[in-house]
Amino acid sequence: RTGRPEAERPQPQDTRAVATSSRPGTVSEVPPRPRGEEEPLPPAQPHELPGSLGHIGNGLGWEGALSITSVSRDRSRWVVFPGVRQAQWLTKTKLVEGLPPAVQGIMDNPALGLQELEERAKHMVSHARLWDTAEAAPRRERYCPVLFENLIHICRLMSGKYPSLSKRMLARNCRVAATWERESILLQVRGLSGILMNSMSPIPPVASKEEILATKEHVLETFYPIAPTIDLQEVNVYKELNDTGFRDGYPYSHPHTLFFLESANVLTDRFRPEQLRAKMLMFAFGNALAKAKALHGNDPKVLEQPVVVQSIGTDGQLFQFMVFQLNTTDLVSNDGVKNLVWIDSDQNLYERAQCVPEVKKGVVTKPAGISGFQPDTFKKFLALYLHGTV
Amino acid sequence: MALLAASRHTTSIAHAQKLFRFTQQGRSAPSSHVTPKAPPLPARQPPLQENPPADRKTSLSRGPERGRESLWAIEPVCGPHDCRWCISFVQTITSNLFPSFTWILSVVSHCSYRRMGRVLNAKGESLFFCISCSVSDLNPEVNYYWHHGKEVVVHGHRKGRVDPVRFQIDDSPHLQIRVPKQLPEVGITHKLNVSIPAFVPVIDHKPSKLPLFKKQYENKVFIGAKVADPCCYGHTQFHLLPDKLKRERFIRERLEDQIEVVYRSNGIASLFAWTAAQAMYQGFWNEADVTRPFVSQAVVTDGKYFAFFCYQLNTLALTAETIKNNPRKNICWGTDSKPLYDVVEDGNVKGFNDEVLLQLVHFLLNRPKEL
Repeated sequence: RTGRPEAERPQPQDTRAVATSSRPGTVSEVPPRPRGEEEPLPPAQPHELPGSLGHIGNGLGWEGALSITSVSRDRSRWVVFPGVRQAQWLTKTKLVEGLPPAVQGIMDNPALGLQELEERAKHMVSHARLWDTAEAAPRRERYCPVLFENLIHICRLMSGKYPSLSKRMLARNCRVAATWERESILLQVRGLSGILMNSMSPIPPVASKEEILATKEHVLETFYPIAPTIDLQEVNVYKELNDTGFRDGYPYSHPHTLFFLESANVLTDRFRPEQLRAKMLMFAFGNALAKAKALHGNDPKVLEQPVVVQSIGTDGQLFQFMVFQLNTTDLVSNDGVKNLVWIDSDQNLYERAQCVPEVKKGVVTKPAGISGFQPDTFKKFLALYLHGTV
Repeated sequence: MALLAASRHTTSIAHAQKLFRFTQQGRSAPSSHVTPKAPPLPARQPPLQENPPADRKTSLSRGPERGRESLWAIEPVCGPHDCRWCISFVQTITSNLFPSFTWILSVVSHCSYRRMGRVLNAKGESLFFCISCSVSDLNPEVNYYWHHGKEVVVHGHRKGRVDPVRFQIDDSPHLQIRVPKQLPEVGITHKLNVSIPAFVPVIDHKPSKLPLFKKQYENKVFIGAKVADPCCYGHTQFHLLPDKLKRERFIRERLEDQIEVVYRSNGIASLFAWTAAQAMYQGFWNEADVTRPFVSQAVVTDGKYFAFFCYQLNTLALTAETIKNNPRKNICWGTDSKPLYDVVEDGNVKGFNDEVLLQLVHFLLNRPKEL
């Protein structure tokens, strides 16, 4: 039940990757990427590597009813949270670092007047982190949701300029269920998927047709000899359920953005950034898949109109942004068109929020207030909010 | 007058909220004496003016006239339309998702009623402009501590001395909106120093004569944010009544006349605490009375029935010494509770009441003069 550190895994025999992309005599041009380089170890916790189990021993991984379960009729093992690479395999997704060009374009568009909103954003951060409580400093359980509400409040102000922004609705505690098969393993995502913002109209596809076809050449990373479904909970289910969480006739039927707030006070109760990104990916995929099956039926196929769902995760200071595009519901084989995800990870909104100034030997070393405010992070938040209508 | 307080280790908001809610029942319910009862209102408690002067021609209790163009003009309402947004709006109410400010904003921006659209188009810019400067709090704390009246110490080493009676309100509205400038004062006839020939009930006996909790609160004054926040004036509060105070219960126990008391007492007490705390944040207290009125609004609801209140704080001088020569009174205007809809069946809303929605919209459209 314990997570084996990655260093103990033998080097992958990724012969398939080498075979398809190498030419005779030029194997060295495509060296298999050594494991150590692509996984920066989090410096503070060297014993816990990305993709590992984290806190499985404490039984906390499924606290919020987030069980990504691998359905099998025979055995039962326990689940925890996979890293992003494992999530990519499970959802047949290709990763692209950074936000897509459409979202970057919104950020760089001067007509939106994002500069004026910086002052408001700083005020909102101060409100959430400094002023919101009668105690000395608000706790994370309090300031994380308040910060989220304040940022959404600023985003909604843009509906004065773009009236179609008002055709959105926030939904909390909605359950999603999606089932799919991946190389003869039946997988499902079920549970409370954070805060969901729905919209009346879907987000247009972010990647062009050429990029989607280019994903055919991409090879999914395997983790030989470790099964890619490691640490997934095995349960017996009797109904393969695909449910968006809303009944038919709901006007805001298209999932737009999922928000995940890691607001537990204790560090061990919160997800690490890597695990949070994996959770965001799995739930964005779950929502997109459920919507695609609702729109186009249960048959696995390449989608004419890809479904785009965004995801933002935060612990009150660090933000993870993600845009997921579901290109295909044919997930059984490892070949063919893959789904795409753009991830912008570990964006700090501010460096430090000091409620009481720190004074050492009569000198103020850290003044009270918010220091190191990064307006770009807020711009990304706003750009993801505006994406689809601007 | 007795001391209303709570033990130090139980100053949690939920507990205080429960206590606060309990203290709003106007009359002792026939249940056991353990149920805390409402204290008699302090002698200076402002009267509730429910029926505005008769020259108003609208169906709602319209707010008092303002010096400038009245924002509360309610146009004749069109008939109910079967809008999809309306269904989702009401379904969110019935599924116990109380309308947060953001939801209200989305409702307001979805308005497709012609008349309401016209009202909004005229005032729409004011709505967004005001809201763009506002801050909303979810489940904030609002606390106020004050002295009112005198009592003689009965027991102990201080026996025989005269003490002020101390009161503390710990409130937790569901949602509140704060703005950086004060809402305009209400009406020419209700300015600060104009004395109002209204009756404020005088109650001689102590609230401890009723079976009431008597514990020690932590004495706090808090508007929902610290003093450093520039949005230091209140705009609107939204209160959600707990299930214990639902109408069916009162009707079952044959206390129909107490239903409105719940709404009114909640409105008066919450708004008094909020406006007085705002005044304290600006530096006023009972020896240095307010030089300008503090105005705030509140909506009290149980999900279906809505009651609207507007409060003007004219004086903070409520202690035994300062109240002697103080002609000013605080004023609260309010409506009776009215249903927003009759019933929701088969995904359709039956009997949707536009007046209530219009009143809500007008509340939100109310804005300070400077903004």
